[in-house]
Amino acid sequence: MTNAPTNAASAEVTAIDTQARGPLLLLLASGVLWLVISGILALISSIQLHSPQFLSNCVWFTHGRVQAMSETAFVYGWAANAGLAITLWMLGRLGGQSLRALNWVVVGTLFWNLAVAGGLVGIMAGDMTTFSLMQMPRYVQPLMVFAYATIAIAGVLAWSGRRSDGTYASQWYGVAALFLFPWLLIAAQAVLLWMPVRGTVLAIAAGWYAQGAWTLWLAPLALAGTYYLAPKTSGRVLPSYEAAPLGFWMLIFVGAWTGGRHLIGGPVPVWISTMAIVACSMLLFHYLIVALNLRVLFCATGTSAKFLRFGLVAYLLGGVLEVIFSFRSVAMESQFTFMATALEQLGLYGGISMMFFGAIYYMVPRLAGNAWASGALLSGHRVLVMSGVLLSVIALAAGGWSQSAGLLDASVSFSAIFGNLRLPLLLNTAAQFVLLSANLLLLVNLFRSICPCNSSVAVTPGLFRQPATLEAPAL
Amino acid sequence: MKNGPIFLLGLFVALAVSFGGIVLGSHAQLGRLTPYFDETEGQAFPQRTTGIAARGQLVYADLGCASCHTQQVRRPDYGSDKARGWGERQSVARDYIHQSRPQLGSSRFGPDLTNLAGRKPAAPSEGDLLNLLYSGSERHPAYGFLFETQKVAGEISSWSFSPTGKSAPAGYQFVPTERARSLVAYLLSLNTGYDYPEARPVAPTAKKEEGHK
Repeated sequence: MTNAPTNAASAEVTAIDTQARGPLLLLLASGVLWLVISGILALISSIQLHSPQFLSNCVWFTHGRVQAMSETAFVYGWAANAGLAITLWMLGRLGGQSLRALNWVVVGTLFWNLAVAGGLVGIMAGDMTTFSLMQMPRYVQPLMVFAYATIAIAGVLAWSGRRSDGTYASQWYGVAALFLFPWLLIAAQAVLLWMPVRGTVLAIAAGWYAQGAWTLWLAPLALAGTYYLAPKTSGRVLPSYEAAPLGFWMLIFVGAWTGGRHLIGGPVPVWISTMAIVACSMLLFHYLIVALNLRVLFCATGTSAKFLRFGLVAYLLGGVLEVIFSFRSVAMESQFTFMATALEQLGLYGGISMMFFGAIYYMVPRLAGNAWASGALLSGHRVLVMSGVLLSVIALAAGGWSQSAGLLDASVSFSAIFGNLRLPLLLNTAAQFVLLSANLLLLVNLFRSICPCNSSVAVTPGLFRQPATLEAPAL
Repeated sequence: MKNGPIFLLGLFVALAVSFGGIVLGSHAQLGRLTPYFDETEGQAFPQRTTGIAARGQLVYADLGCASCHTQQVRRPDYGSDKARGWGERQSVARDYIHQSRPQLGSSRFGPDLTNLAGRKPAAPSEGDLLNLLYSGSERHPAYGFLFETQKVAGEISSWSFSPTGKSAPAGYQFVPTERARSLVAYLLSLNTGYDYPEARPVAPTAKKEEGHK
């Protein structure tokens, strides 16, 4: 670190990367594997919407169970594993020294994936909890907390033992996601599963958890990687960086309060939804600051920047739409329709996952020490996954629009509503198929790139561009 | 943010405040909600789901019926819930106090089921529901695993039923399994006909007049 780097490639791949190679690639590979599994399940679930008899005779694959499994595999399989890999890598690099407790990361990853697999089998067997985003049965839940904490330790150690005194926005978001999720999960398990509260308070608590998982965990994981990579891919210092702490604390303090917007008009106290509407609007400041900081992505080039840009636009658009959809008059129409599904897809797939893809494309060559195995697979994945997300979101939103018009008019029968939904739902199935094939390309490319037969100790010269500056002066 | 412990404390406080406000706050408000005792009727509402219907609630949850059906009726002037005959009044928190897992649902791909047995003009019969579960429809999956084809031994089972458009082979009968029977019993127990004081909409006209005075 004391010697000025003479070679761009050797400055880009340091001992920090090579020592963390195994554990982080394990996390990443299991994440991508779960992404493909959840894609298969999402495809089944989507087919069942327009052809309800598909697999209906098999109790393991009723629509409710398939949907719960696909959501679980996506959030806890893909997003958790990939997000953790990216965040640990970033924290190690910004901490300025090799990650410690990497053995714990390996153990934690194995147990985490065991828990997710057990959870999916449990849902398949009919033990789902029926709480959105927390469908995994009770018996795997304690293991999840333990496994997550085991993985997170490495990140928190890297942050607390950092070489430099100052910290960066990516570190705040990363540490927040690592530190808060176990507490969030414990609190939610306590009131939902172990000492359940009564009646509709359960629905309120489940809504709080689902929103917390989004704003205190998934969004920070995605932003951690994006804040780290925006200056690196664009070669510029983040503008308006002094506002970044406000954007961060806004998300952390206000975010979890927005969960009640799904219960507007429901059998809960009115202040729950009113608070949610106010919180949604306050969160606009967070989105504004993120937009100001990360606008440098529009000057960046390269595969990774293309994904990050897509993710940023979807994240911001999702945030603005959430505010609009939280107004009571709009919620009356959008509630219970596929518009809500479209918005979730926009946030989870278009926002979070795209930011993860961007970070993965940047990170894997530096971890593995060689370039992506196939440029064709890489651009194939990019084109397919982006068009799949767009098609799915647009089809679901259009379907939801006609569905809401039909539902609000009591003279329109359910079979007429279903008739109008058929085409959008078929398009969504096509989109799910495109997404699945895209992610298969990613899986193949990833395994070919990280296969030990390809990896070389010496980094290929000229593989990486000149290292870019840090994101901004540390705060 | 340079000070680690204070940073982590800040994160923790943010989580604790939202937990306290939303979860504990609503628990403090709703946690002690009791059934409403109606003196003219001489009984308390809501009534507990008992016996086979209580088991049916578990079947409803484990099959994931809530992925397409809601169980919450919105107030008459908010959406078309009343006009569709899903309920005369809005659902209130008291409706759910006996339910260990309220199935509020978030999608209305299928109709709302809050008040299925109390629907007007006509609630579905047991036969209708068994038929839908067995044969499905263009919009509803057929859950064949909820039924058995049994050999008729002696008398025909009292549960034997004949689905429309299909008949059992000679000497056999279609019988719903115990799970199907509990599910149907549960669905037919869904009745929110009782009108709680808090469920009556505030009359907007009366309020206005008061305001003028």
